Amino acid sequence: MVSDSIINASIPVASSNPKDFAKKKRANRSAKLKQCKLDARREQWLSQVKNKGSRQELNGGGGACGQGMQVTNERGQLMEKLAIKPRGEAEENGGYTSTYNDFDSPSNSPTSHTSSLLEGNDSGTNFTGGSSSSNSSSSGGCCSRSMSEEDNEGDDDCLDDWEAVADALAATDKKQEQLNSSLDSAPERDDNVVHMSSQQEASDPKVPAKDTSQQNPKGRGAVPGSPVGIHAWRPNDAFRPQSLPNLSKQYTFPMNSGRHYRGGSVWGCKSLSIPTSCPICCEDLDFTDTSFLPCPCGFRLCLFCHKRILEDDGRCPGCRKQYKHDPIEGETTKDAGCLIFRAARSCSMISRS
Amino acid sequence: MATMNSGNNSNTPATAQVAMPSQKQTVSTAKTVDTQSVLKRLQSELMALMMSGDSGISAFPEEDNIFCWKGTISGSKDTVFEGTEYKLSLSFPADYPFKPPKVKFETGCFHPNVDVYGNICLDILQDKWSSAYDVRTILISIQSLLGEPNISSPLNTQAAALWCNQEEYRKMVEKLYKPSV
Repeated sequence: MVSDSIINASIPVASSNPKDFAKKKRANRSAKLKQCKLDARREQWLSQVKNKGSRQELNGGGGACGQGMQVTNERGQLMEKLAIKPRGEAEENGGYTSTYNDFDSPSNSPTSHTSSLLEGNDSGTNFTGGSSSSNSSSSGGCCSRSMSEEDNEGDDDCLDDWEAVADALAATDKKQEQLNSSLDSAPERDDNVVHMSSQQEASDPKVPAKDTSQQNPKGRGAVPGSPVGIHAWRPNDAFRPQSLPNLSKQYTFPMNSGRHYRGGSVWGCKSLSIPTSCPICCEDLDFTDTSFLPCPCGFRLCLFCHKRILEDDGRCPGCRKQYKHDPIEGETTKDAGCLIFRAARSCSMISRS
Repeated sequence: MATMNSGNNSNTPATAQVAMPSQKQTVSTAKTVDTQSVLKRLQSELMALMMSGDSGISAFPEEDNIFCWKGTISGSKDTVFEGTEYKLSLSFPADYPFKPPKVKFETGCFHPNVDVYGNICLDILQDKWSSAYDVRTILISIQSLLGEPNISSPLNTQAAALWCNQEEYRKMVEKLYKPSV
């Protein structure tokens, strides 16, 4: 069963190879970024699968609203995880390790273990050299892994959906690379994830509960005392990864289901207080400029004009006071404050493009 | 050894000659970029000024030179300059708005802070200039300067001395006012 599913899973990967081939060059460049996002995505999937196993075992597959809630929560988690991503590499590594263990756990057979290891090696080569053609892009690798895992509980009809979803994910990755921003892809990919899970629920309403639990023995064990798990991870769970944020935090995010529209409106509101063009040179302010507040008086200007003024007399045009030369401190506090808004902005950027 | 030295000697001036034009090129490109940004700024200022609909002030570029504007301000109500209108010339430097424009009265103005040549003594046109100012704020500032002169540092001492007698001052303004056609 397990090896069958792996063979099945490898078919779409092979078929999608030419498409992924062009992306290989870029995969190398943003390998580190992608690795992190991969981890986030994989972790999310795994926790969802696990949770589904335990829940369906107890509930008998009922409770679609519970599924919806879970999806919402996980979306928030992904957002949060991506948001805190720049904090450090240690966290990334930790996340990766735990994910890897989780990935091994669903099937105890040695075949799947080695295959997963091989896949891991393949993608590793991609990250460093980018020369492997069998598993040409890291996102492809990820998709195949999710597929091989998820396919265990679905039937072959589901596979088509997964293929479409994999394409969507790849497209999202591409778009995100074009935007060249680390946070941009969070909402879009979330959308895909939500889409995937709902599709799966719709097309495969009676997933045999015992089937999932059979193939997910360790996954069930990892959440030992969870009775009816609505959340992917309960906040007080001992095995909950440290990198996951608190659930209470997620609801402070301004975007939910109507994310695109609300993100746009948030940006619209914000633009009332921030000028859209530099008052000095009248050029449009970009995102860096709008988050640049060089003077406590609140006078905003573009980085070019600011530099020009610093070379000159160094006084703020708004209050005529001398600019203070502590840009590093100012930048960090500002970054922390604008994190949410930056996500909203990237949202609107995606919807515009 | 000698050949090496000669080679070095011949190389040094060559590189210097190569370096010189490249420096000139970068300077010229920087200037074109600057000029374009000044153009953009002045164009948007003109647009803003025409859209604002401020009463008593107006300005427009001279023919085919956006760096030279002609402006008009009218004396505010309830001041000795009420009913008068003054023409000004504004000349923008290439590093505008980082440097202030040169503003002069074209119409003769009997005012403590305006000399007989039309030069204006106004702090924001000199050391208190800020790149956040624009033509509109300059003209509004000059308009308010008409009614509230700075007597302590006059360019026109006669006007400064007469300012305390507003009735006499009004007569003097009317007498000296020669509206340009």
